Amino acid sequence: MSRAAVKSLLPILLFALAGAAHAAQGESVHPDTGARTWTTAAHGVTFSLTQILPDQARAFYLNRGFGVKATEVYATACVFMTILRNDAAPGVLHYELDDWGVMHEAGERPPLSFDYWNERLAAFDLSDPALLAFRWAQFPPSQSYQPGGDWNQGMLTSGLASGERFDIVARWRVGGRDYEATLEGVTRAS
Amino acid sequence: MRPERIVAALLLALGAVAAAQEQPPLTHGLTAVEPYPAPELVLEDMDDDAVDLASLRGNVVVINFWATWCPPCRREMPSLERMHQAIGAQGVSVLAVNVGEDFETVFGFLGAVDPSPTFPVLFDRDGAALQRWGVRGLPTTFIVDPAGRVVARAIGGREFDHPELMQRLSALAGN
Repeated sequence: MSRAAVKSLLPILLFALAGAAHAAQGESVHPDTGARTWTTAAHGVTFSLTQILPDQARAFYLNRGFGVKATEVYATACVFMTILRNDAAPGVLHYELDDWGVMHEAGERPPLSFDYWNERLAAFDLSDPALLAFRWAQFPPSQSYQPGGDWNQGMLTSGLASGERFDIVARWRVGGRDYEATLEGVTRAS
Repeated sequence: MRPERIVAALLLALGAVAAAQEQPPLTHGLTAVEPYPAPELVLEDMDDDAVDLASLRGNVVVINFWATWCPPCRREMPSLERMHQAIGAQGVSVLAVNVGEDFETVFGFLGAVDPSPTFPVLFDRDGAALQRWGVRGLPTTFIVDPAGRVVARAIGGREFDHPELMQRLSALAGN
């Protein structure tokens, strides 16, 4: 590679890498299911959402003791598989899901909480094993991750209607400082 | 550093970011914690026999909370068995605590894992052990030292048969 070529490439690559380190958003589609994944990496943290198709959610909860009605309520609530991972943040990351924001036409509000679902599902007289599976399948309401790879993967519901596009902001604290990462243009699986 | 190498390194870094967006790799880090006495853990295994963590005093014990429906739990399970095969005889025990599932579900899953786990799999049927140990998400793994103290922790899937991780556990066992 000539020095001239290197000189011309370096600024482009440095710019691209800087962007990737702070807010690179990627989008991919699963070749078999068609489910979309949105991923970003910012401040040493990876944040991603993957659509869970209503039929996937139905299969999951029907197999864990949910009745048809309870399953339908959850499966149609805009479910995403969510990953937050502390790869190289400057310290221990702590988040509260209530601090996150789902932003759409009507404004911003947190994702639907576990407490919300606990109350909503109380009407369906679910068994203890079914509720236990539900609790632990959800993305944790709060958590602390050490740098170097602590992470969780769990279900998160936006509660939006089919076809709505939204942005979602994950917020966390490290050493008293606030950080966030945003996924833009997320859509619900239909 | 020569400019060509800088370009190559930058390209590699960009590639790493792209790869991370596809599937988070399993790392092999354990977080050291201020040692504290391990909470009680007495649960039934696949044969309905009670297994008491206290009976393993003198060993390093890797306690892995998991469920069959948890994707990272499924990913890391074969590496737990490979680690068990590699250093189990050096005083490193594994207890895999399943959360809230029945025998048939767990048995069916374990039969499909390659290599299939040979360490004890325990049943936390009501999630009480999970709460007692302060677990907030699955999988979570605790490392208990030979004196019965929790000394390290991992939240999320890990590659348990990574040489560095196995060396750390083996050293903790006094090898």
